[in-house]
Amino acid sequence: MAAFAFYLFAGLLLTSGLMVITAKNPVHSVLWLILAFFNAAGLFILLGAEFLAMLLVIVYVGAVAVLFLFVVMMLDIDFKALQRGALQNLPLGLAVSGVILAEVLLVASGWTAGQGVIVHEALAGPPPGMTNTQWIGSQLYTRYFFVFSMSGLILLAAMIGAIVLTHRRRVGIKKQSIAAQNARTPGGTVAVGKAAIGQGVEL
Amino acid sequence: MTYTGWFVEQFGAGLGWFLANLTLILAIAFPVMVGVALAVYADRKIWAAMQMRRGPNVVGPFGILQTFADAAKLFLKETIIPAGASTGVFLLAPMISFTLALVVWAVMPFDAGLVLADLNVGLLYIFAVSSMGVYGIIMSGWASNSKYAFLGGLRSAAQMVSYEVSMGFILVAVMMYAQSLNLSDIVLAQKGNVLGILNGNIFNPLLFPMGIMFFITALAETNRPPFDLPEAEAELVAGYQVEYSSMSFALFFLGEYANILFMCALIPTLFLGGWLPPLDLPFLYAIPGFVWFLSKMAFLFFLFAWVKATVPRYRYDQLMRLGWKVFLPLSLFWVVVVSGWLMFTGHFAAAPGVM
Amino acid sequence: MHPIFASIAIAGPETILTLGSLAALMLGTFTPKHRALVVTSLFAVAILGVAGFSLTDAPAGRSIAFDGLYVADDFSAYLKVIIMAAAAASVLLALPWLQERGAGRFEYPVLMLLAALGMAMMVSANDLLTLYVGLELAALPSYVLAAFSRADDRSAEAGLKYFVLGALASGMLLYGVTLVYGFAGSTQLDVIAQLVSAQAERSIGMLFGIVFILAGLAFKVSAVPFHMWTPDVYEGAPTPVAAFFSAAPKAAALGLMARVLVVAFPGKVAADWQQIIMFIAIASMVLGAVAAVAQTNVKRLLAYSSIANIGFALVGLSPGSPAGISALLFYVTVYVAMTLGSFLVVLQLRRPDGGTVETMADLAGLSKTQPKLALALAIFMFSLAGIPPLLGFWPKFAVFQAAIASGLLGLAIIGFIASVVAAFYYLRLIKIMYFDEPAVALASEGSPVNGALIAACALFCSPLGMLAMSPLAVATARAAAALFPA
Repeated sequence: MAAFAFYLFAGLLLTSGLMVITAKNPVHSVLWLILAFFNAAGLFILLGAEFLAMLLVIVYVGAVAVLFLFVVMMLDIDFKALQRGALQNLPLGLAVSGVILAEVLLVASGWTAGQGVIVHEALAGPPPGMTNTQWIGSQLYTRYFFVFSMSGLILLAAMIGAIVLTHRRRVGIKKQSIAAQNARTPGGTVAVGKAAIGQGVEL
Repeated sequence: MTYTGWFVEQFGAGLGWFLANLTLILAIAFPVMVGVALAVYADRKIWAAMQMRRGPNVVGPFGILQTFADAAKLFLKETIIPAGASTGVFLLAPMISFTLALVVWAVMPFDAGLVLADLNVGLLYIFAVSSMGVYGIIMSGWASNSKYAFLGGLRSAAQMVSYEVSMGFILVAVMMYAQSLNLSDIVLAQKGNVLGILNGNIFNPLLFPMGIMFFITALAETNRPPFDLPEAEAELVAGYQVEYSSMSFALFFLGEYANILFMCALIPTLFLGGWLPPLDLPFLYAIPGFVWFLSKMAFLFFLFAWVKATVPRYRYDQLMRLGWKVFLPLSLFWVVVVSGWLMFTGHFAAAPGVM
Repeated sequence: MHPIFASIAIAGPETILTLGSLAALMLGTFTPKHRALVVTSLFAVAILGVAGFSLTDAPAGRSIAFDGLYVADDFSAYLKVIIMAAAAASVLLALPWLQERGAGRFEYPVLMLLAALGMAMMVSANDLLTLYVGLELAALPSYVLAAFSRADDRSAEAGLKYFVLGALASGMLLYGVTLVYGFAGSTQLDVIAQLVSAQAERSIGMLFGIVFILAGLAFKVSAVPFHMWTPDVYEGAPTPVAAFFSAAPKAAALGLMARVLVVAFPGKVAADWQQIIMFIAIASMVLGAVAAVAQTNVKRLLAYSSIANIGFALVGLSPGSPAGISALLFYVTVYVAMTLGSFLVVLQLRRPDGGTVETMADLAGLSKTQPKLALALAIFMFSLAGIPPLLGFWPKFAVFQAAIASGLLGLAIIGFIASVVAAFYYLRLIKIMYFDEPAVALASEGSPVNGALIAACALFCSPLGMLAMSPLAVATARAAAALFPA
């Protein structure tokens, strides 16, 4: 059963990964990418890492890819030209992926992690009585507190950067000021006067 | 013997397991569908009552079969695919919407132990599935090849992503109290949690504002008025659904109401004590938990209908302002307050992994 | 008390910078617009100063914090002082430029503080995770700073180019990290060293990991063959930002490189990475020297000069010996002063139309229009060229000496030839300044702070700087010794 599920997820993952780069329409590429994320989450579940699986779906499928899709939908891309470019770079791409494939094979064939030496504790599973969500949390906030909090600062830097590079105070546009709107009283805005017959009102 | 065990004995491990779960899934999905039909009817009746109208009253007794008649009409009509549409995506979108709206029920505990998949990350599962719900809409908006549909899709994507952020923070506060992501545990953690007698996070002064925010966020997540900008018929005709007809439209419609019903079930689970009675008194437990759960759902659905009948639609910039400038800071701040209070009172002292 | 507080105390400079950068952000937001930039900048300089001075209070020797993620020793302290000083100078030198271009963009000093924090983390990294997070924290503000004058197409292009290539380099680095983790079983540097030396034969997967990590780091220090971004980014980025790029991040990345290689991969594997470092060093020196000859843009020239200088500094790393590391640190110190000085002079000069100096032709006859700045620039150029009485000669001498002492005579000879070639274009710039007729009358922008900074750098690089050599020698030797546990 688990083997069937693994081959299902892995097969779909590879297929959708392939479709990402071969799809003619970039929107379709993004949709295939989402399917790939989804299958990766399935693989995580098979590994017993349900927290990571859910996080992958929430963060990548639910947020990142939506924004990605958002942008791609609004772009006007010339697919033909893009693919011509891709074909030109094909040999280089093949060479790079060949190198990476060789490395993956090396890793797979030569796993000899720390012979005879105590291996990093992270290789052990969660202690009994703890779900892996709790375990990840307790590791992140104690052992890895430093890098975890600094990762937060990276996000802060990214946010400042995004605002610096895109925010501009535009002039000449109307803006709603909620506070001013709520503070309005009839006394300041409404004038009750008597209009003389046949003369109208001077504004 | 367990339910699954019986099937396994009859049909062997693989097939038995499969059949057991299949029947269980149907046992949830079918009532949900019937519930949706009744919910649509109830929605229209409540709406009508608030506007001093009669509402549906022709088909069946009190018009109760109106929705079934509408559904039959839709199923019998022809599916029209616009010439410029991206066919595959166009047809996939309603299916995704509908499937996700049903799939999310898997982790909902209807009573003690009455749950299809008692995941220990149930809350995250719900969050994950509901965050994927946006794809049905954005895909239909893009694939329709129509500017109204596209604008509706974009609006909806932005809206749902924005409100998910504060929704996440609200869930964090709830899960800190329960110290679990499992929905059954969250319900059980609410047993007598306020003054030893009230069951429900909503009675907790620290979680009360979160409960209110969650209700409003739920309205936004389900694209209900006053946040129904994706379909805003006055300006976008019907938003992302504009090109859909017959069965494909029906799937969107069913999915939408199934989502609304789910939110009406999730809010009780998180804030009103789920299947527990509101007061922690022994004789109240004589009434089955399932009944408590359904009545809470019905109450919530009434609130949803009430809001739809009485509140005008938000303007788009106001919607975004509410999401990012009001709810996000408020819920973030409130998470800090709640976690500070829980640390201060030693709530986490016994939690595993605390140093 | 919770053990985490002890760790936070050991990581004093980082703590100060973290809180300081958050405070600076608040300060800038809530200060009136017209004063926000100046106030935040001065605050940032003060924070950098406090962080620098907190190092003098640090306990002697090696202290490990955060379960081995972080190490504070003489090596990190020495580099942190340089980083803080260079970052503070970069904040100050940008001030007039930012004011000229209007509108309180107080985010500049805040980003600078965050980048300085990342660099401090880099040099204190005792774990590949800290290394990566520090590198990203230093890099992300840099991408933003490169695109800081967003209305300028070249600046936006520089930012984008830097970002895309930087992300690629980070990816390679991370890939290397996973390989090393997979083959060693740990990400902590000293543990990796133990595990590696316990392994019977060196594994080829580990070697791949080292290569990938080195590729990522070589990008950050802009060493050949990962240097392509440097001239474009320096040319496109605003001049004060280019000045920043050429100083502090280079010191941090070189320090990081030295620590990772020396601490995590000693003994058997050392020979592997030494070959790579030697290749990178030679390629950088040669390409930096040859390609710079054809440049007409001052910023591009300085970019190639920094590539060449990184090559010379890496010569110090090649032997992997205490003397070599000590020479490397000495080189970095002097290089930071020289490059900051050169950029300061370029930044100080204004064309009649108010723009900053771009081409070398603009500098023609500078000795007649701005004799003082011309003299300072001449000192920096002579020093960069390594002409003996000036300070720039000594670090070159030191790295070659360290290389020869370890039997790398060939490397030293190639380095020497490259430095002779490089001297050509430095001297050509001096010739343009002193012997050509003035083309445009350049004005001095006249900021007293920048004037003082130029004077300080010039004094340090002049023969007078040799007075500082003996205390520097003591400090660098102590810092280098920290990497080699007895």
